Amino acid sequence: MNRAFIAALESIYPPQRLLTRDVELLPYESDALTAFQTKPAAAVLPDSDDEIIATVRLCHEHAVPFVARGSGTSLSGGSLPIADGLIIGLNRLNRIKKLDPQQRIAVVEPGVINLSITEAAQPYGLYYAPDPSSQSICTIGGNIAFNSGGAHCLKYGMTSNHVLGMKVVLADGTVTQFGSESIEGVGIGPDLVGLFVGSEGLFGIALEITVRLMPQPELYRTVLAAYDDLGRAGDAVSMVVASGLLPGAMEIMDRLAIKAAEASVKAGYPDAEALLIVELEGETLQVNAEFEQLRGIIEASGAFEIRVANSEEERARIWKGRKGAFSAVGRLSPDYIVQDGVVPRSRLGEALVEIGALKEKYGLDVANVFHAGDGNLHPLILYDGRAAGALEKAEALAGEILALCVNLGGSITGEHGIGMEKRDYMPAMFSEEELDIMQALRRAIDPLEIANRGKMFPGGEAPALKQHGMHPLEKAGVISRE
Amino acid sequence: MATAIEKCVHCGFCLPACPTYSLLGEEMDSPRGRIYLMKNVLEETLSAADAQPYIDRCLGCMACVPACPSGVEYGDLLVSYRMLQERERQRPPLDALARRLVIETLPYPKRFRLAAQTGRIGKALRGALPEAFASMLNLLPEKLPSPLPAPPVLPARGELRAKVALLPGCVQQALAPEINYAAAQALAANGVEVHSPPKAGCCGSILLHVGAEQQAIELARRNFGQFPDDIDAIITTAAGCGSGIHDYELLFKDQPDADRAAAFARKVTDFSAFLSSLGMRERTGFAHERRVVYQDACHLLHAQGQQSEARALLMQIPNLRLLPIADAGMCCGSAGAYNIDQPAIAAELGRRKVASILAAEPDLVVSGNIGCITQLRQQLKSTGNPLPVRHIAEVLWEACAGSE
Amino acid sequence: MTARAPGSIAEIQSLVQNSDRVHVVGKGSKTALHNQTDGAAIVDLSGMSGILEYQPSEYTVTVGAGGLVRDLEAALKQHGQYLPCDPLLPGAASIGGTVACNLAGPRRFRYGGVRDFILGAQLVDGMGRAFRVGGKVVKNAAGFDLSKFLVGSLGRYAIMTELTFKVFPDAPCFRSLRFNYERLDDALSAIFFINQSAYELDALDLIPAADGWSLLARLAGFQESLPQRVERFAAGMERDTAPSDIATLAESPNLWDPLAELSGEFLVKAALAPKQIPAFDRMIAGARRRYGVGGNIAWLATDDVEALAAALRNCGLRGLCLRGAVHSAVIGAPADDALAQRVKQVLDPEHKLV
Repeated sequence: MNRAFIAALESIYPPQRLLTRDVELLPYESDALTAFQTKPAAAVLPDSDDEIIATVRLCHEHAVPFVARGSGTSLSGGSLPIADGLIIGLNRLNRIKKLDPQQRIAVVEPGVINLSITEAAQPYGLYYAPDPSSQSICTIGGNIAFNSGGAHCLKYGMTSNHVLGMKVVLADGTVTQFGSESIEGVGIGPDLVGLFVGSEGLFGIALEITVRLMPQPELYRTVLAAYDDLGRAGDAVSMVVASGLLPGAMEIMDRLAIKAAEASVKAGYPDAEALLIVELEGETLQVNAEFEQLRGIIEASGAFEIRVANSEEERARIWKGRKGAFSAVGRLSPDYIVQDGVVPRSRLGEALVEIGALKEKYGLDVANVFHAGDGNLHPLILYDGRAAGALEKAEALAGEILALCVNLGGSITGEHGIGMEKRDYMPAMFSEEELDIMQALRRAIDPLEIANRGKMFPGGEAPALKQHGMHPLEKAGVISRE
Repeated sequence: MATAIEKCVHCGFCLPACPTYSLLGEEMDSPRGRIYLMKNVLEETLSAADAQPYIDRCLGCMACVPACPSGVEYGDLLVSYRMLQERERQRPPLDALARRLVIETLPYPKRFRLAAQTGRIGKALRGALPEAFASMLNLLPEKLPSPLPAPPVLPARGELRAKVALLPGCVQQALAPEINYAAAQALAANGVEVHSPPKAGCCGSILLHVGAEQQAIELARRNFGQFPDDIDAIITTAAGCGSGIHDYELLFKDQPDADRAAAFARKVTDFSAFLSSLGMRERTGFAHERRVVYQDACHLLHAQGQQSEARALLMQIPNLRLLPIADAGMCCGSAGAYNIDQPAIAAELGRRKVASILAAEPDLVVSGNIGCITQLRQQLKSTGNPLPVRHIAEVLWEACAGSE
Repeated sequence: MTARAPGSIAEIQSLVQNSDRVHVVGKGSKTALHNQTDGAAIVDLSGMSGILEYQPSEYTVTVGAGGLVRDLEAALKQHGQYLPCDPLLPGAASIGGTVACNLAGPRRFRYGGVRDFILGAQLVDGMGRAFRVGGKVVKNAAGFDLSKFLVGSLGRYAIMTELTFKVFPDAPCFRSLRFNYERLDDALSAIFFINQSAYELDALDLIPAADGWSLLARLAGFQESLPQRVERFAAGMERDTAPSDIATLAESPNLWDPLAELSGEFLVKAALAPKQIPAFDRMIAGARRRYGVGGNIAWLATDDVEALAAALRNCGLRGLCLRGAVHSAVIGAPADDALAQRVKQVLDPEHKLV
């Protein structure tokens, strides 16, 4: 990063919003995937659209790569900095610019936290539907980059289905606007919103986003069923689907994930091999009718215990364990990899058996958490990074799980995106020609490949893998690990 | 310390809970970022001096602890790290002087009174002093109240239900002696015999908070043996004392007296927690409706997990309406000696807190901590708002005695 | 020029490679799209049809793009399922044409439009390359989402040969109601009331009536609960939106066909926000219209397409002309197509696809 570029940044940003010292940059070197660490050359914290646009144009002019970053919660290393590149931290752009409950829309800045939209809409009986587990902290900008999902995707879709319009700055500095406040979004002409959402920050930065809000369901009926066999929980999901019901969410956790969640939030889950959470939502009369049907199915599915949430607190408790499950695994293991693959729902059982076999083969523990309604698996591979070769072994296991997903007709990512982590698995899913076309598209928008360089596409310089060693203080006997 | 660092999976769930992150929006000023900086310092890839400003800016409010799904014990980490660093730290002369003043005066009511007298003279000179001094002076009231010593033993009224001793506290004794006085009266009214041991002093928590380990140990040790053995609890009326004393285990690790410290810590209970578990016997209430906002002290809410105790007491009082406020769990910026160390951030947090309190349109603010009370009074005063801020012990005494 | 009907992807590829300009027709139901194709090779996709993969329990279906929407809907119905985006011209249109023109019908109100139900596609682009975009599972975040880009693309970036959709179980029972209002503002207020309520409607259209405006609403669900829900909804509407008249309507094929009563030389679809309706409606005096999907889509019929185009332009709106002799099918305000142009440059740099 040359002096002239820094000087130009200095003319845009006051010193406290232009970070260049080691101590200021170190905390930016990872997102929520700490296996990768790269220290950026500088970071800026813009306060306005104009600052972002000016910064992107500068980057283009000086051929400096940049990474836009919200709260840094990507689980695929999507906001990993680029060495010699710039971090554009968007978390200060957190204003909800417009809330129109009558038309059920909100216009927000990219640094707005996902849950904040729901909090703002709640007094009007509305909410923002995509609910990734990190919704209390992840930003809309990041949700757009990675087309984030959540537990309710089967019925209401992912981020892409809830964005109606946006103003963006493309990587070459072009500012463009598409979509509208109509529920149709773009409506006439190719759906540019759909193309931009999920582009992993490779096209540019969203500056202003129009999202659609949904009416809060009048009633939720949430049931928790415990099984002594993981396969049986999977079969229960198939039975629910076959019945013609369309639950808002269906989630499965296995024994290890239950243990972690229990240790973290003490949700009071039953001691089981597998837990299934099914949630119906909608108009009271309709949901109650559906619930009778659901109860019959669950009772016939071989669950040894069935709990029905009878209050909002009980429902929140059921979900709290599930939502905190990823991070809670930090209590069970010093390190873990969260995987994110999709299989056709009917092949869930097969996938779980295979994962079980892989677990044995590698001698590693795997906790399974998944959105069963849409076949989205989240195996958490537990390993101890301090043991030599453990990370590599865990990654090899993760790779086999992804290959399994593709072989079963699914996808290598349901919602976390490719980012850094899955670049090398792209060829398993796309042909060389398909990858070439995507690359060409990226270059048509960003000829210098400066926007989030190194993500999504296979190859590129290998990032530094985290290697654990003993702390110097540990070596000196000052500290110890229990 | 390493365990706490290893436990952090960098998920970011702590970010929205952190007052400095919400104010400054930069990763270094978040719990996750600070843990990362501490890790780098411990691994010797970053100098402690570089990391220090960001560690110093941490309020120690512990809001990140309940927010953490991985169970990182941030409090333990911060205290251990501060103790480790204070051993080696070089401060600029003026900072060192200010800090010396904090260490040498705040824990000692008499010295603090003396300094306060000087301080009042100093107020005239405020403009000429560095910021750190000026902020200390701002904290001082126009006039210090006269000492209001509680009797060594205040007998229980009516049937005797429990026997307790009051921890005198330090700054609070000089700034607001009426708090412990009221606490003793409220407890006695509820059938509790209240001892105020004449030789008991500061528990050392405020020094632990700033990492002055040795001085903290000395002060803590002075208190052992000052309290009668047959009491049911040692009551604190300052949140920071309660949570600091619960860190004695860490403070006394590998020290002589570790057992005595642990035994002492086990007896210590916050005023509201004690009274709410005992159950209020007297509650005459107020003659007219009082609209009350309860201000959570971080060291009660986050450090000791006390969300409902004080609220339960207040809600039992006839004619008292408890009002919810936005961001109730966010620190008011007082945080022990923080408003002295980091005046600008403390003031901004204070402004935000006052704004969310005023939005609820209360006619009284109640808190369980002298730090919060001082901070809120000062913020209200600077906006010219006459809204009273009182300690819960005073409000309960008044409500129990039925004197409006 | 006569149309050629290739029966395989390879044939389409060679056709594209060996032509200067290529124009795709599905079933030709949207005549306005085929006006400016002089000299282009006409590709009739009828040969690329049929249901290729359908496992009802997966909630996904993969079909040939040239097939009739009607046939797909019939296949889904056998398993109690449907396409919730509710293609607009089910009787006549091809599936590819529905995607290319983004034509969703009234039931789009409940779960979403074409963009919300397309999962993946097999394409031949303007360079004759055959490739896949998206996936065949209900959730997928790998690679750029070009499948959504196809929605509304008018076949000008790539030829769709195969499409995968998400499908849902359909409701067994329906009930329709009509609420009349004297003023447009009152009818819109009723829409806003519904938008913030918990009533789950299957469809909601706003239609000009002889003496004001009608809101046509439909509920769908189980036999057991539907009558009660309808009653509760009607009571809520009566109490909170003060309609001048409420009527229960018998379900009939025409009731929810928004085009059934729109006669005119030109038929146009436009996307708009409900709050834009009053200003727009004042400008299109001569047009027959229906504001569907809670007032988010305008279906318009007129004999004076120039006047309609001007009205759209004035309101910053765009429309797609489906029927009638127009120079360009897209009318109204110009689009900011900076991003679309980049895609064109990659998929069809020689502008073969028209």
